[in-house]
Amino acid sequence: MVVVPDLTRAPDRATGSLVRVRGQLARFMPLLLLTALLVLLSLRNPDLLTRNSLLTIADSAAPLIVLATGATIVILCGGIDLSIGALASFASVLTALWIPTMSAGVVVPVILISALAGLLQGWVHVAARVPSFVVTLGGLSLWSGLALTISGAGTVPVYDFAALRWAFTRTWGLPSATLVALVLVVVLGALMRFTPFGRWVSSVGHAEPAARLAGLPVGGIKMLAFAISGACAGLAGVLLVARTFSGAPTLGDSLLLPAVAAVIVGGTAITGGHGGLGRTLVGALIIVLLRVGLSQIGIDTSYEPIIYGVLIIIAVSVTIDRSKVAVIK
Amino acid sequence: MSTPQAPVLAVEGLTKRYPGVTALDGMSFEVRPHEVVGLVGENGAGKSTLLKTLIGQVRPDEGKIRLQGEPVTLRGVAHAGSQGIGMVFQEQSLVPNITVAENILLGAEREGVRTGVYRWGAMKALAQQQLDKIGSSIDPGARTDTLTFAQRQMVEVAKVLTIEERTTVEPVILLDEPTSVLERREIATLFKQIERLRQRASVVFVSHRLEEVLEVSDRIYVLRNGQVVAEVDPHDTSPADLHRLLIGRESDGGHYHEDAQEPCDEAPLRLRVEDLMTAGCRSVTFDIRAGEVLGVAGVQGSGREEVCRALFGATRFSRGRVTLDDRRLRLRSPRAAVRAGVGYVPSQRRTDGIVPPMSVAANMSMAYVGEICRGPLLQGKRERGLVDRWIERLGIKTPSTTTAIGTLSGGNQQKVVLGRWMVGEDLRLLILDHPTRGLDVGAKSDVYALIRDLASAGCAVLLLSDTLEEMIALSHRVVVMKDGEVVKTVDTPRGAKPDPVVILEEMV
Repeated sequence: MVVVPDLTRAPDRATGSLVRVRGQLARFMPLLLLTALLVLLSLRNPDLLTRNSLLTIADSAAPLIVLATGATIVILCGGIDLSIGALASFASVLTALWIPTMSAGVVVPVILISALAGLLQGWVHVAARVPSFVVTLGGLSLWSGLALTISGAGTVPVYDFAALRWAFTRTWGLPSATLVALVLVVVLGALMRFTPFGRWVSSVGHAEPAARLAGLPVGGIKMLAFAISGACAGLAGVLLVARTFSGAPTLGDSLLLPAVAAVIVGGTAITGGHGGLGRTLVGALIIVLLRVGLSQIGIDTSYEPIIYGVLIIIAVSVTIDRSKVAVIK
Repeated sequence: MSTPQAPVLAVEGLTKRYPGVTALDGMSFEVRPHEVVGLVGENGAGKSTLLKTLIGQVRPDEGKIRLQGEPVTLRGVAHAGSQGIGMVFQEQSLVPNITVAENILLGAEREGVRTGVYRWGAMKALAQQQLDKIGSSIDPGARTDTLTFAQRQMVEVAKVLTIEERTTVEPVILLDEPTSVLERREIATLFKQIERLRQRASVVFVSHRLEEVLEVSDRIYVLRNGQVVAEVDPHDTSPADLHRLLIGRESDGGHYHEDAQEPCDEAPLRLRVEDLMTAGCRSVTFDIRAGEVLGVAGVQGSGREEVCRALFGATRFSRGRVTLDDRRLRLRSPRAAVRAGVGYVPSQRRTDGIVPPMSVAANMSMAYVGEICRGPLLQGKRERGLVDRWIERLGIKTPSTTTAIGTLSGGNQQKVVLGRWMVGEDLRLLILDHPTRGLDVGAKSDVYALIRDLASAGCAVLLLSDTLEEMIALSHRVVVMKDGEVVKTVDTPRGAKPDPVVILEEMV
């Protein structure tokens, strides 16, 4: 098939209303899905709605929420960060290695280094004009390799339980990890809502040329988005250490796909612009409930990746903005 | 002139609306057998949408396309080909790294392929058949990227003629701006080809070069605002006549608010461009006074677009000096330009001008977001106040400030983009790249009034325009660019506007 240049892909009338229907679906589907999952699961297992089991679920959801929140900002810019899982692993190893010397203070340098790692990826993406999925795919391998090297390719146990005590107790009856995740969502949400950064991110995601020609600091916006994503990966790494009392070079790797799935299932378009952090929160809860539900109906956890894969493809097909993609490849 | 016969292709009341713009507005015309029909129109007249409709890339909202009298619904390039409509694309559609034969037969290899494998002998023979139809001596075994542009165009023509094997009817061949990149000698060859083509097909020739259309066509349709506004016999029409039809007399000088043009000879120099060199322009020198509107005239390839983009930091320039109010500008990026007090209204409004899904308010406050912030925080109230004020002042018709700008009409969208720059307290230079493209008459007049207001307030304006008439009416001076250099400066003072021909002569 010869690809003809200069296709104006403005939607036709009929597809126009289809797009609107899709838009409405994308907006309310996630909440409906979440409710349906909750109802179905509690019908099957009434214990699910007890306080304790809900709290356990919330606790286990924290690293995923943190990762997905950071990833959302990059995706809103129209990019993608595939390195977050590996970066979280790397951060977990750093945390475990540094706790003996730094104790609770370990959080600050780990998150800073992860933010720098993200910033570096963003800088390469912007300055060298390399697609973000390539840069972060390279980053994925890079951070994995670094994590393997400094950990001696093994799990690094943590004995100083007190150091990360803040991340596995309960505060006001809530698991503190969950609280950390929620605070993060609120803080970043406020950044997006009450400063120009949020609309800048959406402008870049919707129409980068227009954003550039209106004088927005497009490169800086993207780099900051990647830095935030990196910092979130670092925080997720710390939370993972608090859950497992160890850091490991593959600890966060399996979270990449669920995190991306959470963003997209929540209704943020992979093409950028449309979406938000609140949606990602809903998306992350869907993913977590799905995981719980699968184990309850006795499906082996090794089937989980299959579900994520299928889910991502379906969700993208609903939320993608095809007017932005000249050639889908 | 051909005698009226049953048309091979007839278009009836074709209408295509995009958000904010009506690209085709009940367009009707017909093409008779073995006829060369010229289609002329300015940018935004609907030429490209029409062509896309005729090869099935765009579905019309209303109207019919009839082939041999039968209404058809075209579903794509391949389907249009099977119905007998083929197009030679302006931006060529050949794959560069394969042979001519492969390109000609791409997707229609027939006996050139057996059990999934190329049979090179058969391929070349089949391709040669097509090349013979146009009497071309191009080697079908040559790699496509080794050919010149003109040769590649011949390959495209040969390729389009493969549709003869797929239909029983005589085809209609659409040529989209086929001469735009050709040299004079190559154009002569192309015209001979068209004469040859008409033996076996009908030809639709789309171009903005009026002399060429007049030379090659049997009949000419003039398109304006998505409609056919005139049918012309080339034998008793001059290029100037055609040009007048093309522009259309929209109204007298009042349309351009010429009374509001204030002299600015005494005003200080605002922008000085010296010896600017960038891709597409060699050495450009001019200046603009505060309060002056300077038009830059030039044909495609004159380098005027490049100058605009360079002055806004959208492309780098390799040499030259740009000073704004005696301060040297370092134009590393559009952001740097905006900070120095330069604004830019791009010609591609939908992709470069606005962020369609975002609100009118967000689009308007985009460039000077500092105006609506306290510290790092957005002040919603301040934004609404500011945007409401400008909506009223610019007469923007929008349901609310939170309406997505993409749903407004083109004219209102453009006013928001202009407002974006007027919001800035310290706008010194505004670059307008075809600011009225695709707007209706009323909206155009509003935009003209805004440009006058800006100039009266002391802002320097650099104007690129689709039509000379518009440019001359709005400008204090017009500089003419040709082949990347300024070749002439024409004063266009109020009440003594020169004839467009004076400038046209310098452009070509």
